Amino acid sequence: MRQPGSPVIGLEIHVQVATESKLFCACSTDYIGAVPNTHVCPVCLGQPGSLPVINGRVVEYAVRTALALGARVGKSTRFHRKNYFYPDLPKAYQISQYDRPLAEGGALPIGEGENRKEIPITRLHLEEDAGKLVHSAADGRLGHSEYSLVDYNRGGVPLMEIVSEPEISTPAEAREYVATLRQLVRYLGVSDGDMEKGSLRVDANVSLTGADGKLGTKVEIKNMNSLRALERALDYEIARQADLIRKGESVRQETRHWDDGNGLTCGTRGKEEAHDYRYFPEPDLPALVLPDGFVEKQRDIMPEMPWILKERFVTDWGLSLQDAAVLTELPGLSRYVEDCVREGADPQRAANWIRTEVLRVLNEKRIGIEDFGVPAENLSPLLVKIDRGELSTTLAKTVFDRMVAEGLTALEALEKIGAPSGRLTGERLRNVIERVLEKESSAVEEIKSGKDPKGKKRGFLCGQIMREARGQADPEEVAKTLSRFLGC
Amino acid sequence: MNRLQMSAADLARAVKNREVSAAENVQASIARIEEVEGRVHALLTPLFDRALEKAAQIDQKVGKGEDPGPLAGVPVIVKDNLCMRGLKTTCGSRMLENWRPPYDASTVRFMEEAGAVILGKANMDEFAMGSSTENSAFFPTLNPWDLDRVPGGSSGGSAASVACGYAPLALGSDTGGSIRQPAAFCGVYGLKPTYGLISRYGLVAFASSLDQVGPFSRSVEDLALVLNVLAKPDPADATSSRRERPDFMTFLGKENLKGLRVGVVSEFEAYPVQPEIKEAMERVQNILREAGARFSCVNLPTTIEAGLPCYYIIAPAEASSNLARYDGVRYGLSVEARNLGDLYMKTRGRGFGAEVKRRILTGTYVLSSGYYDAYYLVALKARTKISREFKEAFQDVDMLLMPTTPTLPFRQGENVEDPIQMYLGDVFTLPVNLASLPGLSLNAGYSKTGLPVGIQLVGPQWGEGTLLAAAEAVERVLGKPACAFGGV
Repeated sequence: MRQPGSPVIGLEIHVQVATESKLFCACSTDYIGAVPNTHVCPVCLGQPGSLPVINGRVVEYAVRTALALGARVGKSTRFHRKNYFYPDLPKAYQISQYDRPLAEGGALPIGEGENRKEIPITRLHLEEDAGKLVHSAADGRLGHSEYSLVDYNRGGVPLMEIVSEPEISTPAEAREYVATLRQLVRYLGVSDGDMEKGSLRVDANVSLTGADGKLGTKVEIKNMNSLRALERALDYEIARQADLIRKGESVRQETRHWDDGNGLTCGTRGKEEAHDYRYFPEPDLPALVLPDGFVEKQRDIMPEMPWILKERFVTDWGLSLQDAAVLTELPGLSRYVEDCVREGADPQRAANWIRTEVLRVLNEKRIGIEDFGVPAENLSPLLVKIDRGELSTTLAKTVFDRMVAEGLTALEALEKIGAPSGRLTGERLRNVIERVLEKESSAVEEIKSGKDPKGKKRGFLCGQIMREARGQADPEEVAKTLSRFLGC
Repeated sequence: MNRLQMSAADLARAVKNREVSAAENVQASIARIEEVEGRVHALLTPLFDRALEKAAQIDQKVGKGEDPGPLAGVPVIVKDNLCMRGLKTTCGSRMLENWRPPYDASTVRFMEEAGAVILGKANMDEFAMGSSTENSAFFPTLNPWDLDRVPGGSSGGSAASVACGYAPLALGSDTGGSIRQPAAFCGVYGLKPTYGLISRYGLVAFASSLDQVGPFSRSVEDLALVLNVLAKPDPADATSSRRERPDFMTFLGKENLKGLRVGVVSEFEAYPVQPEIKEAMERVQNILREAGARFSCVNLPTTIEAGLPCYYIIAPAEASSNLARYDGVRYGLSVEARNLGDLYMKTRGRGFGAEVKRRILTGTYVLSSGYYDAYYLVALKARTKISREFKEAFQDVDMLLMPTTPTLPFRQGENVEDPIQMYLGDVFTLPVNLASLPGLSLNAGYSKTGLPVGIQLVGPQWGEGTLLAAAEAVERVLGKPACAFGGV
């Protein structure tokens, strides 16, 4: 049983699905910054006589998301019409899913170690987005506007609504839930998950457990456009409700808007309209029956989930949890580090280098890893050289900066900096060794007379040779050639 | 033979063989329309100039030796709820009085691609709601055989056009009888195809799960010819069946109907119909029996008991949602208003006629929370049961024979004040829509007063071929339906 007064939070998250075209027509979904009402057609404008046709790619993306959450994907699901009048809704109904959503059940894991918790998922369903109203008033609100304009570019953009069970206990957990879900959709490549742009919108249902341990009256909060706003809004709302209860007043069931500037939630003024959406099965769309093998195929092309990847980085590579968390935050970054390791770099070396050097460059340039000019197969040889002692870290940083600035490979950069180009081998390596042996003749004598049982002197000689070669020699070849010179 | 009496098949052959030009066909039709239209009022928008241009294009094609298509130079009338790009498509409503769709209905495109020349848009009951064309917001169409009487509806303008010889073919739509009933009242053929045979894309929706586009003609061969043009799978309509279509011409030219099992519905036999209709039933039965068909009785108890109420719940429910988009925001009528709610009320208050409002109210009511289960859900169950009942009947018979209507064409104004009486006239047609079946109304002669009498053939899903073969057998005996006003 829940503690009286403890918060109960459930989240409904609308995720814009990043397909190229809309849910029921071929119009582009790339509406941000577009001239209003240019990404429209008879279908998404709800022109009389037009009909919707489901975009199969959206179904693929949604199924992948459902599978990642461990949800059960319905073999035969269907769409309903949700009827209400509003100017941004061109057909005066939204095509959504109601009694047979695309997927049900599943969970999203959040937290680490002792704090690890699975937040159960109720359902995942598909629906179309509405257009956007632009109010003429200076404050952008309807109330003071002389007129309002409608832009239907966003109308019909595919949305996945992911509903959690009310099993989130704190604003911090809610924040982590959303952050994890955002990371998930980015990993799957099904959405950019950008809260500021509105590609990921969170509505929260909040109540406080009553004295009898039962659920209290729930309040829905909307308009939280960042993780910080979400956490602040929930903090505020929980305090507000607790205050009401303390004063012996009752919590009203309502929808409240988060006002980020003033840091408070405010109720929608006036009477709460009881909505009757008159849901009924969409007669323009047959049941959505997934063909045999459809779900399996999506499962086969799913990437590793970020939380599993993180665990693997810790157990297989011995990275710290913090390193692993940073490197798995974005799918591109984790792919990059994996590529480096595959190309021969030591995982810890790669992790350090990426966290410090690569992220520094990305932050400076304000770009993502996808636009980073040094591919993993170029960075990896540099890291290997550091590990082999062929390059000092300081020199390596100079080389790296050159690689970034001019788009060079490690070898090209080394050459430009004036370090000997290419490896010292054969004749040139022998010349270097001869020079060192001449200079260190006493050590040579000691080795030849058997006074170096632990190979300390030999090691010293190798180091001297590598130094002379400015790190540009293969340690193994150095050791072998040296043995030949020493005759033992 | 008089050109106005010629079938579409003969006209197309003549154009292809350069015996007549498409332009001559169109000019003859225009002359006929100018002669008769002042009395009948079948057309809302004549498209004569456009038709002459299109005809010239066809003649050019013929001149160049290109294939002008199976309907080369055949004049056609189209119901005004089928979209034609840039041309008025009013649906018989003030709401869309000046609306010009930005796209063509698929069926319009198919017809024009086949060489048909569209001469005008036909009058109809507002949004296809009605059985007399008296619900047109503009003017009523009159029955060509008796100007005091109604032509039926809602496709009254299309049926009257074909009866008057404006064109050998017209397109209509049928949601509960809107092709077959006016075909019967005007003495022509009217075919409501299996749901999903013909695309609905660009047909302004009344009740999406019941609407089908279909043809009117004065010959069975023309029905087959135009089905070959119209019955294509359409990716723009998700409810369009993907099954392969037969060549409908192959069902014609059968020597006899040996082996054909025809059912008469016991419950319908007991239903009170006018004596002329009973006589026509017997006439057709005798012809079919003569041609080799065997008769038996089938029972459709649920259909007769629940069909009408079931239809008048489902159709208005869907209509209330389909017509919600006419809100004055994007297109169509928009009445000056103080605020959004006012805009909705004034626009819809003025834009819709009484029957449309009646159905929107009914539909909204049956979908409302608290009533959904008692009305809409029960109707859906009844619909399933009716479909099953027909399916079972079609295990014993290949086709059903029934009246199209219980009465002969009624007088103008006779049923206007009594919507229930009007609804009862659909008793034989609407179960066919509920069960998604094909239905063909044929002219089976005339009453003593010279009014046409229609009889209906109903087949199992995708059974159009059987209906064509049986109708042809009747046509051989009774002849092709005559033109009203005796041709020219």
